[in-house]
Parts: sequence; C-alpha cells; structure tokens
Amino acid sequence: MSVLEYIANGLVFSSIIVLASIGLSLVYSIADFANFAHGDTMTVGAYGTLVTFGFVGGLGGTVLGLPYGFFVALVVGIVVAAVVAVVTQRLVYEPLDIGSIGLLITSIGVAFVYRALVRLGFGADPREYAVELQRPIEALVPYGIRMTVHDVAIVGSAALLVTGLHLLLQYTDLGRKMRAMADNPDLARVSGIRTGRIRIWTWLIGAGLAGAGGGFLGLYNNVGPRMGFDILLVVFAAVILGGIGSVYGAMLGGLLIGMIDQMTPILGDVGIPIGTEYSYAIAFVIMVAVLLVRPTGIAGEAGS
Amino acid sequence: MTADDNRLNRRDVLKGTGAAGLAGIGLTAGCVSTADETPTPTESSGGGGGGGGDDDDTATPTEGGDMGAYEIGMVNSLTGSLSAFGARNERGMELALESVNGVGIGGRELSIIVEDSESQAQAGVSAAQKLVNQDQVPFVIGAVGSGVSLAIYESVIQSTDVVQLSQNSTSPDLTNFPGLLRMSPTGRTQSTALADIISEDGYDSVAVAWVNNDYGQGLRDAFVDAWEGDVAYDSPHDQGQSSYSSTVSEMANSEADAWLFITYQPEFTAMAQEAFSNGYEAQYYGADSVQGSDVLADTPEGSLEGMKIVTPSAAVEEQNYQDFASRFEEAYDQTPSSWAAFAYDCVITAALSIATADEFTGAALQETVRDVTRPEGEQVTTFAEAMEVLGEDGSPSDIDYQGVSGPIDFDENGDPVGFLQIFSVEDHEYVSTGFTSA
Repeated sequence: MSVLEYIANGLVFSSIIVLASIGLSLVYSIADFANFAHGDTMTVGAYGTLVTFGFVGGLGGTVLGLPYGFFVALVVGIVVAAVVAVVTQRLVYEPLDIGSIGLLITSIGVAFVYRALVRLGFGADPREYAVELQRPIEALVPYGIRMTVHDVAIVGSAALLVTGLHLLLQYTDLGRKMRAMADNPDLARVSGIRTGRIRIWTWLIGAGLAGAGGGFLGLYNNVGPRMGFDILLVVFAAVILGGIGSVYGAMLGGLLIGMIDQMTPILGDVGIPIGTEYSYAIAFVIMVAVLLVRPTGIAGEAGS
Repeated sequence: MTADDNRLNRRDVLKGTGAAGLAGIGLTAGCVSTADETPTPTESSGGGGGGGGDDDDTATPTEGGDMGAYEIGMVNSLTGSLSAFGARNERGMELALESVNGVGIGGRELSIIVEDSESQAQAGVSAAQKLVNQDQVPFVIGAVGSGVSLAIYESVIQSTDVVQLSQNSTSPDLTNFPGLLRMSPTGRTQSTALADIISEDGYDSVAVAWVNNDYGQGLRDAFVDAWEGDVAYDSPHDQGQSSYSSTVSEMANSEADAWLFITYQPEFTAMAQEAFSNGYEAQYYGADSVQGSDVLADTPEGSLEGMKIVTPSAAVEEQNYQDFASRFEEAYDQTPSSWAAFAYDCVITAALSIATADEFTGAALQETVRDVTRPEGEQVTTFAEAMEVLGEDGSPSDIDYQGVSGPIDFDENGDPVGFLQIFSVEDHEYVSTGFTSA
C-alpha cells in the first residue's frame, strides 16, 4: 500500500514545486532571463508569512487545522514577496542593459543579498509557524495514505491559485495582454499594449506565486534562510521539463518532478538499489531524457 | 641532520648540534612565543647532546642535581580556524599547571612551552620540530585538528621516542597509529554505545538514517560494525533537503521498531515532524548532534517520548570534575567545555608520567604514560592525591588516574575509553539517565 502513500507525498511536494515553477516560467517569458533569485523570493514570502502570523496569530476560527490568521499571513507573505521582486526589478534588472547571461549572474547576486538580509534579520536557525502539527487523517490511513489536513490545505490552496491564474490568463484583459507580450513583445507594443505595465504585473504575479510556494514550503518543512535556494534546482528542472516560458508546461513539469522525487523509494521497494538520496539525480535524468526527445520541453513551442 | 656535521661540531658546540642540524625548518617556525619561554637552557644542554633523539646513547639522565622545571611542549591552535579550541585548551592547561605546581614533582615544577600550529598541518609540524629538536622536550601535547596531529606524528614524532598526546583530535584515523595517544575519544565510541543500548533494549532490527557527509558516514560505519542485529534501513540523506518524507516513509516501511538518527538538528526535526504527521511510531535513538532545545521546541509534545541520545561527556557527576568546573568558573567566569577538560587531563597525565618515570627522557615516559591512567592501580582523581599514593618511589601501575574528562584508560591503540552520557526524552525534556563507557 506504500505506493499510494508515495503518491500522496508527491502530490503535496508537487503543489509547492508547481507554484514556484509557474512564477519562474512567467518571469522568464517576459523578462527573458533565468531568475536565480526566484528561490530566495520564496524564502522572502515564507518569512513574510512567519512574521505576520506572529502578529495576527490564531485569528478567528480554523479551517483544515490552520487558523484564519495563517491565511491572512500567507496573503501578506505573497504581497511582500511580490513587492520585493518588483522593487528589485525596478532598481536592478531594469536599469541593467547586459543581456540575459548578465542578468542571470546578477540574479544570483540578488539571491545572495536576499538571503543575507533574511539571515541578518532572523538568524540562520530554522523556524516553525506556531501551528499545531497534525496527525494523519484517520479515514485515509486504512488505504495507506497518510496525509494531514495541512497537506490537504497545501494541495487545495495550490489548486485554487493555479485555477485562478488559468482564469486570469484565459479570460481577462490582463491575461490576454500577458500572453501577447510573452509571445512577441514588439508586436504587443505596436498593438498598443503598455508593455511596461504588463511587465510589472507579470513580476507581481510570478513573485507572488513564489511567495505562496515559500509560505507552504515553510508549513510543509520549516522556515530557514536556505529553504528557497535549496529547492531552486528542482524548480528549474520542472520549468525546463515543462518547456521554459510556458505556464502550463511549468504546471505539468512541477507535478512530474515533484512526483518523481517522492516516488524514488519505489525503486528500493522493487529491489533496484538506488536510494532516496539520488532522487534529485533521477529527476534530472528524466528531465534530460525528455529533452532529448522533445528539445523544447513538454509544452514548449517549437522554433521559438 | 647529516652525520658528518654532527661529528665535526659535537666537540665544539655541544648545544649547537640540534639547532644546526635542524635549524632549517625549526627556525623558520621561530614563533614569537619561544623567546621568553626557554628559561632553562642549562637543562637542555645537560640532557640532550644527541640532538633530536636519534642518538640514544647520549641521552644522559637528568638526575644531575638540576632543580629547574621539567619542560614539556604543547602544540596548540592559538590562531587559525580552530583557535576557539586553542583558547579552551589554554584555560584547561593553565588550571592543570596550577594543580601540578601546587604540589610539585619531586620538588620540581612543570613548565610547558606552547607553540602555535595555526590550525594547519605545515605550521604544526614546524612547531613540533622546534619543540622536539630545539627545546628537546620528551613529551609533546598536540595537536587540536586530527590532520595536524597525524602530520606531526608522521613527520616529527614517529622516528623518535618522544611521547605525543593529542588533546582534541577525534578522527577515527588516529586509532591506526598506536604510538599516537589522544585524550579525546573517537566518534566511534558513540556508535558502539548506541549499538549496545539498542540491543540491550531488546531490538534486533534497526533503521538508520544518516547525513551524507564524513561525520554521518563515520558514525554509521562504526555503528554497523558494532551492531549485531539486522539493519533494515540504511540510507544517507542530504542536508537541507526540502522534503524528508521519502526517508521517513522508507524507515516506516522497513518495519524496524528502532530508528536511529545520525544527522543534524534541523534535519532530525523535519523527520520527527514528518513521522508525527504520518502517524508513525518507533523507538528513536540519536547521536548527540540531534539533541537541542530547538528540536524540542519545534516538535510536538510527546512525539519524541522515550528517545535515547548518547553524547560524549566529561565526568560531570564526579567530585573532581565539579572541583575543576568551579575553579574554572572562578578563573574564567564561564563553564568549562569538555575540550578544556581534555587539555587539563593531558597535562595531569604528562605530569604523572614524569613523576613515575625513572628519568626525564622520551623512552622512560613511553613506559609510564599509559599505565598511570590504566585500571590496575588505585583510583585517584587529582594530581595531589596521586602523588600521595605514589609516595617516594611509586610505580605507574600503583595509580589509576580518573580524569575530569573521564576514566581515560588508554587502550592498545592509544585511544581513551569513551565516556558518554545517556539522555532520554521524558515529558518533552532531556533527562540524564546515566553514563556509559565504550
């Protein structure tokens, strides 16, 4: 029955990866560089949540084992991450005219600065949200699934955010403009789209989703200065696997990579002597294999 | 170091030989501290015409009536990455010198020439060369880092009969060099103790999760060597992973009832939380690196109940340790670390080996240094007490020095017995449940 358990674990972990991947892919689609500060943007979101939660605390009732205050704090965390990212974009990335490799290296520097500031403010030790740790949901245990209501909250919230983004992209004016700009910024501009404004919106949404991912990662594991950086490589794998620049590809890639990571114990169970310490390596091998067949990633557009 | 040089010079400049032959490296190491710390040139010239010790026949006994201090050397990490240890050692050493010189060794004092290893092998070797060849000490306490201790042993000590006693090195590698003594037990003792405890608790199958680095690997290897039962899960994990649910699921699926964690606090915290959230229950065991107040604060009440942790410890419940600790606090306004206790015991052991040796030479001290701490004799806990038992002409096997850091009892590999404290988690607090040696 352990396979169901691994799937459940994978679903929770994937939810976090998906949120982070979408943001990374969105930013890539309009800013045209791989933002290595994305992981640390997640960290910023998590600390934003942590601090706010310290103030609002157990506000009101609880849903899924989490006080309403947690969701308020999470929203603040999202806003903080988004604002920090946009400010960085205005102060650092936008004035720089150095091409995508230069921006990539710059973003690594930005990541260090974020992390150093977090460490200055909060120290290097991992922290926990002051929420009670949950036991597995009794009804699911007989099936071998050991999920807590917090896990359900993570998966549910991620699904909600992803659906919201889908609706935004497909059915709103802003979404259409974002897609137009991702496809062809010059054409978008001559069509009368205010690309500067759309760029800001895309940064806000991308970094906000990263903040949400960070907030949930803190709930799933703990809140520490390296949390975002430590997960960034898998997030990149997910984005590349899905096809960089594609939001829907990032969703799929995130789901796959998170699942693969958490399904690694199956190898041991069927007698293949590959331990879980190789789970990232396996995820990357699969990523490379997929790229060999489909160089643009699963949902990437050919010839872009 | 050529023989020709020696022969030519011997008659004219007796004392010069050692320096001339070996000055090359010895003098470049010429540390600041040497100038004012060689107060008894007469003694070294009287005792050591042979230079370095490759000339055994010339090592004359020191009973020639000189009443200067016995001089031994110490290579310490005064600067460099391990300087924090160096500072602790200094404090321990000073207290020990106080204890020794309050009583005296047959009317003479003990003095220690301290040289800096800069926490590095190269500088450590230079420092030891200076001590052995220039100052001609028969006993060197050193060094802190395991790599430095080994380098000193291999390039300076091994070819002589000088005694080397490392104060702080814990690498298992030192066990392979029986001539190199050390005061701090190897990390392996922790694993041996854990294997004993788990099997005493009646488990024959264990799941071991260990952190993927030298520390985790070393302790894990030692545990698997010592453990006679089944190892149902035995896998490393990386530090700082975003998820440890696979590790925990696999431990649970291994169906072992005893889970051993050889990892760090944040990783262990994440795993304990994961196990709690997944509703798994097992008897937990841990290396000292998983113990901490943060771990208790971040795990739910009751989730660690009954967990047993083994940590290396000084003999904190013994009277001699408590005296040592209160003297230490008085002198330095802080509680002593076990590293200071190790340095303290190094000096006391050296003093006792000198007190029981026939003469003040490396060869003679080699004969006594192990025996003064071994269990044959009467147990003594302080230098003064030991000297009382020894009386005028006691032999090394008359006493069994019980150090402030533990029983010492050097084994055939020059390693001390590991003295370990066992904690168990009761009502979400660490409670000391006793001591064990391994």
